[in-house]
Amino acid sequence: MISVENVTKSYMTLGGRKVVFRNLSLDFPEGVSVGLIGRNGAGKSTLMRLLSSVDLPDSGKIVTSGRISWPVALKGGMERNLTGRDNVKFVCRIQGIRKSGMKEKVRFVQEFAELGGYFDRPVSSYSSGMRARLAFGTSMAFDFDYYLIDEVMAVGDARFKKKSRLVFRERLEDSKLILVSHNMKLIRNLCDAVVLIDKGRATYFNDVSEGVAAYRKTGEKP
Amino acid sequence: MHRSSTRSHFQIQRDVIYALLLRELSSTFGKSRGGLFWAMIEPIAHLLVPVFIFTFIRARLVPGVEYPVFLVYGFLPFLLFKSICLQMVKGVNAVKGLLAYRQVLLMDVFIAKAMAYAVIQTVVFIIVLTGLAMFGFDVLPPRPIELAAVLALTVMFALGLGLVLAAITSLVPDARPVVSIMFMPLYFISGILFPVTRFPDDWMRVLAINPVLHLVELTREMAVEGYEPFKYVSLAYPVTLAFTFTAIGLMLYRLRVLARVTP
Repeated sequence: MISVENVTKSYMTLGGRKVVFRNLSLDFPEGVSVGLIGRNGAGKSTLMRLLSSVDLPDSGKIVTSGRISWPVALKGGMERNLTGRDNVKFVCRIQGIRKSGMKEKVRFVQEFAELGGYFDRPVSSYSSGMRARLAFGTSMAFDFDYYLIDEVMAVGDARFKKKSRLVFRERLEDSKLILVSHNMKLIRNLCDAVVLIDKGRATYFNDVSEGVAAYRKTGEKP
Repeated sequence: MHRSSTRSHFQIQRDVIYALLLRELSSTFGKSRGGLFWAMIEPIAHLLVPVFIFTFIRARLVPGVEYPVFLVYGFLPFLLFKSICLQMVKGVNAVKGLLAYRQVLLMDVFIAKAMAYAVIQTVVFIIVLTGLAMFGFDVLPPRPIELAAVLALTVMFALGLGLVLAAITSLVPDARPVVSIMFMPLYFISGILFPVTRFPDDWMRVLAINPVLHLVELTREMAVEGYEPFKYVSLAYPVTLAFTFTAIGLMLYRLRVLARVTP
């Protein structure tokens, strides 16, 4: 369960203050995978950052229960001077996972990301594909009640994509996700409900097709 | 499924600071092959150049005290102060990626950075002091406990001021280079290269406004046998300022002034 209570969020820009949300209230019910849809610049990513607590609201609050992931395939949290292994260990440590638990997670990522010897070399020597694989693998190593995913999910070549999809499906048996995407096919495939964000307002649709139809009316073709 | 969901706030913070500290230290020391060597050589070179120059030119600058020892114990608190402060001025955008992990708070990052730099500087200075000792200088501090206390005060002062500066620079990003440049003149008015007792009395009163000078002089008083600090030296002054800055800094942090992430 995630509830957004009376949240206002604005950013300072050179052209003055730009308000993204004013007094936004929204509930994400338990056990439902939700797609966030809306036009470019509507505030989907801002909402995502608020949900993942990367960014804080100006006022109001976001109440969460259960374990919520960091934005999946996040690469910004990686330290370039450290090896892939050490980066995974760091994530384990902040989650409070030590010793045998940590070993198991590290092994999972090592096998999943297929980095070979590069797993023990600094991340700065990785190609962008390798970095993405490491980040995705790290996200998949942990169990969450909610996975937060912003747009890009597919990384690597066709074979790796297939493998990712399989692992992700497996995770979704116990976990739910909140997905930002312009890809309506993906939304239909993975989500049970959608939230349409338009002009600073968020509308919850229990029915995905209804939400997608309303989104089309906002003027942008998917 | 994990024990992680049942951790208390304190346990989470402890885990996070520990993880950040390890990360900070291993990324500093593991930068390249011989990372430890390069991490050490820069500050050591920083110390050795003035030590050599000034030792040979004006060996009798500080009566009764060996000049290299005087110099090294001046650099110790100053570099500690500077490195911690500058890390925090870089502000929230430098560590934005880390904050995506919801357990990690900005304050944890600051605390871990301060601890990491305290460890790094301490190791560097132990190496330099060992080197001086091998050349026959008397480097053992006569009052080690008091010395540790003054250095701890320096770290706290740096953290407090760093928080305030981080808030200012996140409100006015243009102030960032100005703050960084400020450390250059500060170096010269903090009595590191030569003792301020050489100045006329009126000048000393003005120089005494600078709290870093007090920290430098206090460090020497505790660390160098027979050193006479300048006559306006005060422990109460930097202590008061450290608490004031920390209080203001924490208040600004609470008001989320520094938490502004540029999108």
